[in-house]
Amino acid sequence: MPAEDMGKLSDKLRLTFAVSTVVCVLVLAISPVKDFRAEWKHYKRAYVKFAQGRSDTKRLLGDYTMEIDQIWLPTMNVTDRCMTCHQGIAQPSLADSSVPQPFRAHPSIPHNIREWGCTICHRGQGPATEVAEAHKTTLAWEQPLLPARFLQASCGSCHQADIKEAPQLARGRELLSYLNCQGCHRLNTVDRSRLGPDLSSVGYKVSREWIYKWLKEPRTVLDKDGNTTVNGYENGDESRMPKFRLKEEEIRALSGFLSVQKAKPIEVYKINPAVVSAWSKNPELLSQGELRFRQMMCTTCHPLAVTRAGETKLIGGNIGPELTKIGSKVNKAWLIAWLRDPKSYLPNTSMPQYRWSDEDLYKVSEYVTSKLSDSDLFSNVPQLGAPTEEEIQTGKRLFTDKGCSSCHVLNGAPTQKDFGPDLTALGRKNASELEFSKSKIERNLVSYIQAKLQDPVSVNPAARMPQYSWNQEDLDAVTTALLSQTGPPPTSALQHLVIPKKETAFQVVGAFAQVFERYKCYACHRFNGYGGTLAPDLSYEGSRAQKKWIAEFLKNPQTIRPALILRMPQFNMSDKDAQVAAEYLSLVLQKPDVDPESVDVRQFTPAMAAKGKQLYEVKYECQSCHTIGATGGYVGPNLNNAGNWLTPAWIEAWLRNPQALLPDTLEPRRNFTEEEIRALTAYLLTLRTGIKTQSVKSAGNLHSLAQGAGR
Amino acid sequence: MRKKLIPAILLVSSVPAILFSAGCKKEPPGNSATATFGAYDTEPDWNDTSKLIKLGYAESQGKHIFYTYCVWCHADATPAGPSNRSNLTPMPPLLNDGDKLNGESDEYLQNMITLGGGALGKSEMMPPYGKTLTPEEIKSVIAFARAIAQPPYQKPGRPGSAYAPK
Ligand code: HEC
Repeated sequence: MPAEDMGKLSDKLRLTFAVSTVVCVLVLAISPVKDFRAEWKHYKRAYVKFAQGRSDTKRLLGDYTMEIDQIWLPTMNVTDRCMTCHQGIAQPSLADSSVPQPFRAHPSIPHNIREWGCTICHRGQGPATEVAEAHKTTLAWEQPLLPARFLQASCGSCHQADIKEAPQLARGRELLSYLNCQGCHRLNTVDRSRLGPDLSSVGYKVSREWIYKWLKEPRTVLDKDGNTTVNGYENGDESRMPKFRLKEEEIRALSGFLSVQKAKPIEVYKINPAVVSAWSKNPELLSQGELRFRQMMCTTCHPLAVTRAGETKLIGGNIGPELTKIGSKVNKAWLIAWLRDPKSYLPNTSMPQYRWSDEDLYKVSEYVTSKLSDSDLFSNVPQLGAPTEEEIQTGKRLFTDKGCSSCHVLNGAPTQKDFGPDLTALGRKNASELEFSKSKIERNLVSYIQAKLQDPVSVNPAARMPQYSWNQEDLDAVTTALLSQTGPPPTSALQHLVIPKKETAFQVVGAFAQVFERYKCYACHRFNGYGGTLAPDLSYEGSRAQKKWIAEFLKNPQTIRPALILRMPQFNMSDKDAQVAAEYLSLVLQKPDVDPESVDVRQFTPAMAAKGKQLYEVKYECQSCHTIGATGGYVGPNLNNAGNWLTPAWIEAWLRNPQALLPDTLEPRRNFTEEEIRALTAYLLTLRTGIKTQSVKSAGNLHSLAQGAGR
Repeated sequence: MRKKLIPAILLVSSVPAILFSAGCKKEPPGNSATATFGAYDTEPDWNDTSKLIKLGYAESQGKHIFYTYCVWCHADATPAGPSNRSNLTPMPPLLNDGDKLNGESDEYLQNMITLGGGALGKSEMMPPYGKTLTPEEIKSVIAFARAIAQPPYQKPGRPGSAYAPK
């Protein structure tokens, strides 16, 4: 190469350089343009424009910067940039639904957003700055936003005890417990429920044909179209037994196996022949039986199907099984033995032991076996006869393989644990960890859970999970409760946020223990956090009610709350049992600061009572909710007998602050002066009626009783 | 669930009433409070139950409070069946009575519920809830009332605001 050409470039090379320079500049320019056009900046600019169109521009733009806004809470694992676009989230003036999203303010909630961030409740990808990345599932992120419909699931991750702000979650947990999902799955924060009945002696109770029918379709009540799912299970009255997808020969084998389970013979009781001969020909026998059935308040716990205006519904409580066709189900000798002593057949039953006269026993058992029955029940069931040894052996194997033993005890063998997968961290599962098989549903956790609950086979052809029938509300509630199962918190700081559920145990000692067990008080009433929720909480009954009143009430229950209909059964309790219970309740079940003896009734003068009457009727118009005599509202209890019923100490404490005694009571807390409180107490103590015996001679009478109470 | 003892009792207790009183017009409610409470985020239009009104967060919290405390006097059907409304003089307005309540400001309603009828020169039969419910809870009931109002409630426009209702 000549020397003068050194350092000179050929034209071709120059062109190459020129082009590559331009390309290079262009490439470098893309980045700022891309940055300028970033999605979040678009929302930033839109917000400024939006704010300028409003009268409170200055406040809305007070801390505005053209930067990414972020809540960073390192101890809680929160890096949320959501407010970069959701800029009005804490501006009270933007709460109205006319404000366009993403600028609308967050509704006011019990938590401060600045201290909690967004993703703790809403999930999604906090650090993302693009709409799709923040809200949806992407290749790198599989925890999309939780649909608002299931938002209460997030409350449940920390609040292990139910809170009133999250009723859907509470309902979901209640269903998980009621349906004994824990029989097969591990779940957090869900109460362990009663199991299905012990089947060790089921062969004495029902026939093989009945078991066959039940395994085919575990419901016996039909609606007018002949469908078995009466009313979904809206009322929670439906059988808790789900439907298993069993083949004909499996049903034959299982029914054969169960029909030979006869571990403990029933004690056959012979009703006094004089009673039988006196009543068996009496045309009133069945109607009298029905009347006693009603009076004993069997429907407080057991529902019956009632068809009205073409619609069949189950009406009654859901503590015991539905009884509409029980007469076709159980053997009469078993029924009588059961009624006399339920514990000897099922040691853990919540059925109370009534004190039966032979006459009642005869009437009620005749009514149940002949009226609560259905002659067509077995029309589709083949004659099965005695099972073969092979059927019994197959049935025995199936009993474990199909998971029956997860809910039913058999011959003392404990129930099988962990038959299904552990669900304690289901709410955190990524879609890629789930099995969808050939199902066409969207690939996300929510649709997976809902599909699995509705039709387990749709996402897994080999599923062992049985079939449930849900209505939409309950399906959503259970989905919420399952989504709340997010496992242990990811950081120890979050661990401190978990508000655990209080474990409660209530032990009764002494003579009352027997009464308590015999009448199963806890099936309906609650004692210091233990027991049912059907009837009033009795934890403080000793502070509230006078001992004499309790004893009389137990022998002869009457409704106190007019908006309530009497549901307390008449157990035919003996004087001694009633006395033991009253002693125990009034001595032990007290609120520590409301000592029933602490208020001396001698201080109350007629003048004070007269003043109290004035306050009651004129100044505070208490009659808007309470009835005295025949006038008044029925939101609160009837006060006709307040003087015999309530202790003066309770009345005073209650008037001071009802919520301190019963946190959930409807009674509004008022601003009474101490003098007014004493006057009102003096007045209420003058209200007395003798305890009336409940006169229920005929159905008509009973009818008017219920009517009167519910007026 | 446990916290809703009272409404639960009220609800379940109505069941035998229906069993016994053949002519009762109310549908039997469910066994659990939530079953009758219905959906969490909607409320049927009281005047036309086939229409569902969507509720926001505050409104659905308010719905809960309404069905616990107020339904007894401010609705004609209650979870327990009959209503206390007709027992009262003056008869309380139905909560969805837009003709009556739309004209009242949020502030007035807040005072009414907090202090009771007596304090505002109205009937003592409207009890004060200021010591029972928090201000937020009372706000949420008002939000619920606004959401179900018939005729529908129109928020008063801010003067000069581009977002005043058309
Ligand atoms: C014991 C029955 C009763 C209960 C319970 C009750 N109210 Fe009232 N309420 C009344 C009566 C009666 C009036 C009418 C007062 C008047 O017009 O003098 C009223 C009036 C009102 C008004 C005012 C209407 C107006 O035009 O001024 C509002 C708002 C109201 N109630 C809301 C509530 C809320 C919210 C609750 C529940 C927290 C509730 N009420 C519980 C009886 C009740």
